Amino acid sequence: MEIMRLVVTGPVGAGKSTFIRSVSEIEVVDTDRRATDETAALKPRTTVAFDFGRLQFGADSALHLYGTPGQSRFDFMWDILIRKAHAYILLVAAHRPDEFHYARRILTFMKQRSQAPMIIGLTHTDQPDAWNEETITAALGFFPPQTCPPIVIVNATRTESVAQAVLTLVQHLMMSQSCLV
Amino acid sequence: MAMKGRLSEFSLAEIFRLMEQSQKTGLLTIRASHETSQPLQNFYIWFKQGQIVAAANRLDSRGLATLIHQREWLGEQSKPLLVEALQSDRPLGLHLKVKGSLTAEQLKLLFYTQVMRQVCSIFRFPEGWFSFEAQVHLPVSEMTGLTAVPTEVTLEGLRALRDWSALAHKLPDPNSMLVNTTRDQSQFHINQMERQIWELAKSKETLLTMATTLQQSIEKVQQIAFRLILVGLVEEVPLVIALPNEPLTGDLSHELSTASSQQISHSFLQNLMGFLSGRTVAQAH
Repeated sequence: MEIMRLVVTGPVGAGKSTFIRSVSEIEVVDTDRRATDETAALKPRTTVAFDFGRLQFGADSALHLYGTPGQSRFDFMWDILIRKAHAYILLVAAHRPDEFHYARRILTFMKQRSQAPMIIGLTHTDQPDAWNEETITAALGFFPPQTCPPIVIVNATRTESVAQAVLTLVQHLMMSQSCLV
Repeated sequence: MAMKGRLSEFSLAEIFRLMEQSQKTGLLTIRASHETSQPLQNFYIWFKQGQIVAAANRLDSRGLATLIHQREWLGEQSKPLLVEALQSDRPLGLHLKVKGSLTAEQLKLLFYTQVMRQVCSIFRFPEGWFSFEAQVHLPVSEMTGLTAVPTEVTLEGLRALRDWSALAHKLPDPNSMLVNTTRDQSQFHINQMERQIWELAKSKETLLTMATTLQQSIEKVQQIAFRLILVGLVEEVPLVIALPNEPLTGDLSHELSTASSQQISHSFLQNLMGFLSGRTVAQAH
């Protein structure tokens, strides 16, 4: 089985869980609950919390989607997730400037640990207080604008919008891999 | 789309960094007060290509003229000159200097009072609102012709700040380390303590270690680090705060922690793209 691991990260409220739920073919697994099942209870455990979704598109091919833990501290699970990711998407709610600072910290954390290709997904861009794309990317530290990774506008509640975002990320990954050859 | 929000969400220092980096031109309006019980005051700061060109607490285009009048720098015979200057398209201060009515030193002093002193005071406001409007007409009547670099103003404003409570949630984590984003800090007028922190960032130490090394409180080191981050000299790199001392439970966690990082095959990506394309089209209809 060949598996691609895609990490969905971003501040609380950016739409990570909804994003995974919209595209996953299985019921999204909240590992917090999973770790408290009977089998897990028999073993010494470290409870971790992240969303997991899957998209099976061939007998031996699957896309696994992992949402980063919800808390603001960077624990070991973040470290494992990013190190194992083939690519990741940073979701940012365009109408919540108070979270841009944290989104920027996430980016620095990720970049320090991984060279995996990434894109930015802007959510809630239809809100009246939403900031424009150029200003948000500058607030995230991408300046000059040419240094910015691909950006997609995402409606995390709509399957086609999420599929388009994942498609953009896969195309970006493909280009990155061909550059390495 | 206007850029607006609360200063507690996006601080003045962050706004200034954004203005400078994005080379914005327009008017930043701040509505704030020193005390929560006091009525909000309006402040206006004009930017041209990312630089601060004027500031005022009024919008009647008379702020700079009032400052000049208060200092009695223009005699009665110069009054017509002021009227002429207000009708020209050249910055008022520059116009008066060219005409010999103001000296370069007077102009600098005016700019310091109008911009530096006024803007630096806004950093002390605990709460307020901001909005930025691009494509506005720059008021030459409020301009001296001099400019200030926003990050330099930030450095000065934050150095003078005594109460950091409004910015507490913005400060870098004590367990984070700093990395230098540039090898050259000479373009910034940083003080000795700021330089020391900048030097220590090269050794990739955490803020806590820096505080011990410099025998300073962690709060002070966080505040200095925040200033250096805002002017673009360093970047905060959060560290992992806790490592598991017990095995991860559940199939998923175990599978993830033992997964290989092998590159994805070209055929896999092609198939996935085909699948996703079909999905977007199928769902769209």
